[in-house]
Amino acid sequence: MYFLLSWRNLWRNKKRTTIAAASVFFAVLLAVVMRSGQNGSYSYMIDSSTKLFTGYLQIQGKGYWDNRSIDRSIVFGMEQQEKISGIDHVAAITPRLEAFSLVSHNTSTKVAQVIGIDPPREDKLTGLKKRLIAGSYLSQESEGVLIAKGLADLLKITKGDDLIIYGQGYHGQIAAARLPVEGIIDLPFPELNNSMVYLTLKNACDVFSAYNRITSLAIIVDDIRFLPSVQNNVREIAGEQFTIMTWDEMLPDLVQNIELDNASGIIMLIILYIVIAFGVFGTVMMMTSERQKEFGILISVGMKKANLIMITTVETIFISFLGVVAGILGSIPIIYYLHFNPIQMTGDAAKAFESIGVEPIMNFSTDPTIFLSQSIVVLIIALATALYPVLFINRIQPAEAIHG
Amino acid sequence: MKKIILRFGAAQNNGSFFFSCIVGLLCFLCYASPGYGQSAKEIVAKANDLLHGKSSRATAVMKVVKPDWSREITTKIWMLEPDYAMILITAPAKDKGTVTLKREKEMWNWIPSIQRVIKIPPSMMMQPWMGSDFNNDDLVRESSIVEDYTHSLIGEETIDGRDCYKINLAPKPEAGVVWAKVIMWISKDGFLELKTEYYDESGDCVKYMTGSQVREMGGRTIPSYWEMIPVNKPGEKTILEYKSMEFDMDISPSYFSEQRMKRIR
Amino acid sequence: MLTLLAWKNIWRNRKRSLIIITAITFGLWGGLLAGAIMMGWGESMVNTAIDRDLGNIQIHQPGFTGDRDVTHYIPKGMERINSIRTLPGVKAASGRTLVDGMAASPASTFGVRIEGIDPERESGVTNIKDLLVTGQYFKSNRKNTIIIGKKLADRLNLKLNSKAVLSFQSLDNSLVYGAFRVEGIYKSQSSAFDESHVFVLGSDLYRLLDSRPIVHEIVIRVDASNVMPVVSAELKNEYPGLELKTWRELAPEVAAIAAAMESWSYFFVGIILMALIFGITNTMLMAVMERVQELGILMAVGMKKGKVFLMILLETIMLSISGGVCGIIVGAATIMILSRNGIDLTAFASSLESFGASTTLYPFLPAGMYVALVAMIIVAASIAATMPAWKAIHLKPSEAIRTY
Repeated sequence: MYFLLSWRNLWRNKKRTTIAAASVFFAVLLAVVMRSGQNGSYSYMIDSSTKLFTGYLQIQGKGYWDNRSIDRSIVFGMEQQEKISGIDHVAAITPRLEAFSLVSHNTSTKVAQVIGIDPPREDKLTGLKKRLIAGSYLSQESEGVLIAKGLADLLKITKGDDLIIYGQGYHGQIAAARLPVEGIIDLPFPELNNSMVYLTLKNACDVFSAYNRITSLAIIVDDIRFLPSVQNNVREIAGEQFTIMTWDEMLPDLVQNIELDNASGIIMLIILYIVIAFGVFGTVMMMTSERQKEFGILISVGMKKANLIMITTVETIFISFLGVVAGILGSIPIIYYLHFNPIQMTGDAAKAFESIGVEPIMNFSTDPTIFLSQSIVVLIIALATALYPVLFINRIQPAEAIHG
Repeated sequence: MKKIILRFGAAQNNGSFFFSCIVGLLCFLCYASPGYGQSAKEIVAKANDLLHGKSSRATAVMKVVKPDWSREITTKIWMLEPDYAMILITAPAKDKGTVTLKREKEMWNWIPSIQRVIKIPPSMMMQPWMGSDFNNDDLVRESSIVEDYTHSLIGEETIDGRDCYKINLAPKPEAGVVWAKVIMWISKDGFLELKTEYYDESGDCVKYMTGSQVREMGGRTIPSYWEMIPVNKPGEKTILEYKSMEFDMDISPSYFSEQRMKRIR
Repeated sequence: MLTLLAWKNIWRNRKRSLIIITAITFGLWGGLLAGAIMMGWGESMVNTAIDRDLGNIQIHQPGFTGDRDVTHYIPKGMERINSIRTLPGVKAASGRTLVDGMAASPASTFGVRIEGIDPERESGVTNIKDLLVTGQYFKSNRKNTIIIGKKLADRLNLKLNSKAVLSFQSLDNSLVYGAFRVEGIYKSQSSAFDESHVFVLGSDLYRLLDSRPIVHEIVIRVDASNVMPVVSAELKNEYPGLELKTWRELAPEVAAIAAAMESWSYFFVGIILMALIFGITNTMLMAVMERVQELGILMAVGMKKGKVFLMILLETIMLSISGGVCGIIVGAATIMILSRNGIDLTAFASSLESFGASTTLYPFLPAGMYVALVAMIIVAASIAATMPAWKAIHLKPSEAIRTY
């Protein structure tokens, strides 16, 4: 009965209904875009940061992270690596063998981080190849090394020169090699650019007497939302004898930065909710006072206030749902459009991003929970405003109301 | 000399073996200058002197023992106090011929497999050797067991059937010593350093070193088998065993040359 | 005359006017606050890294940042600090003596960067002093005291008053050793930093190095971030032989994240502004719809269409100015209150650790933004009000009256 009456009322004044529903519609739309943007920016930052080196996950020997010793390297066979690659949502994996060593050319000697890599896989994960500024990238058969530009400058070494690597291999064995420089890469961070040397995993195993061993296997997932399930699968394949590090354990500074930003993001979101609430509330208030005369007439012709309250409440609920559903439907194409056509950053931000080799875009998250959570918040706000007509009708004096 | 090598041996938990060697040598060179004064100091000085001649040559086997692996290297060592030293690795085969040379403040390595001499700047040993770590104070021990401590006789005990002085070594305030105290047992007969314990500030013994298999080498009666045992790392220790030793040979600084480093066998 | 009529209209329907004014007030409040938080946020984001150790600008002897050789100190460093300090735009400048070395305890040894500082001047450029979790900041008059990070303290099992032995290369390539007592333990956002940076008195370091006072790094804080380019250009001009780097070059990843987040916050402020415009528009639409009948009557009694339209416009402007003034008062008051104590961001993100000033957000808003926001809102409200009014005056009076 109420439903029917309310429904009719809504149709009777389409313009009013549209305006009221529109205010809810825009509220949902803006809240969804905002939150999707926030979450999208975090996952983009995480994605970019993990692709600089660490990956989302790493399989390591126990205790390796705290004590980067080649003695804590692990044997993780090709078969197991294939299994990891085969896990759903694993986008790329790359094995590495890392060791700190002295590197020398002529009379200069420096400490370097020497890393054995699988060249194509490393490129797929970190995009190492595109940082090449001279020479050529490593192939599986390469006998040479890639050296970071800062380190190359310190050693005064160029392509074609021999680099001496001298350090400690597996279980204290002496590691020494003389390898030609095949290419020079420019890494965005000074610390890395002054210390990195890459060679093929096979060569690294030979040089460091760590046959078939790796110090870590880095894993990239295609969407951070699937990380927990991927992590479980990795755990099952790897077994308990290895440590599985996650990006947040490996990049605590990034976590802190994101948390910091998320805190101000939440403040922004709260402000948005307040603004939305007043927008919707203002609309409902105007709508209610506009209907003052109508209510007055209805009451004076004998309608019970309680019934009127029921009707208007149901109306508000209808309008709210209408607005929310329209909002969700309206925001889906927008979010998907923005997700697949991210906004290009300009100016300083773009320069800052390009300087570390990350594409300067603003990404949007398509996580369905965002649509749900934001709709619920807006719905609660909209329904809360339904209290106003209730109070208004309760206090209404029919005689006054009719005469305005 | 033994201490030093033992010291670096135990130090390199899983750090750079070879750099430990170099650092060990550095430490070694600071063992010098006997001191006189009160008797406890004299005892330590005598024990210290016994192990160090003006010059020395030795063949020694070092064994690093870890819970899941161990490694043995055989070395020949030449030393001329206080500034010159050379270490040649004679086994295992893979590392054979590798030589470290120290002359005053400079240090080189000869790596036969790539036929290259690498000069090691001192700063390199002090580089934040990320992750690796000579996990102990050991490399910092450029301290003199005689000069950097205040010695006091705190008792007499028997070790391996020998009557020993038990001496407490308290580091001087500004000395670069991490230990809160060191306790040494030195035999009354022959001034043999049979046991040394290293303590941290909470009063716990962190590691200890024992000397045993006392025998005559190079005209001196000294322990030939040394063990350094970290207390809180079960299954780990470093052993240094001297096969032969000579003291006070006729050897000049010019012996320690880059040319000799490449030729020495 | 028309103004008076408009004024009377506003007072005649106080409730409606009040609703509109309230909607504008809160809309503007949200816009102002969001803008202020965005501005304050931009500062706090980068301050985390700048406050801890970067400063705004750093000066080194060319080559030092590459090889970190202790002999590459800045010639006449102390004199230069004093003259830099007097430059306009420079808030503070402090010199650091930097050596890379090892810190050892009975438990362990770890590679560290030893920073010899002048505590009083250093506290003008960075906030290590505020990051202490225990102990004090070089207050004892003892020789050889050291401040270390929490992570290093854990690694080396050091407590307050424990002894740590530092070893490093001296100017003549020999190794020096010094025993230091822990006087304070700090904790910053970055555990990697905490693990590898220790602070000692410059004077203790000179004594161990057996040298006169030398500095490797001059850290400069500027009055405000917008004068940084000017100061930087001036310094470059003044000291052509030295290497000058801004924090953006020293920490490109921080710069990129900050830039990205800044772009995002512009976007979010945009969304909030859209939300408030929609809110106000909807409220105005409803308000004018309610008055279609009234306008019809006015036209029926002979008032000219143009005048009716003008009257509505005047009313709207009066209302928006009132709302704007209220909004500015409320908004400015909120910003003032919040900026006095700052917003503790840790309250908004559970896993965010507190680090004093750098996790506190101090909102601020330049005067220009106030003007822009108020103007924007008046325009938005006017457009929202005049659209239905324009339509209403084009109805025939009889239709308009019958509409309700």
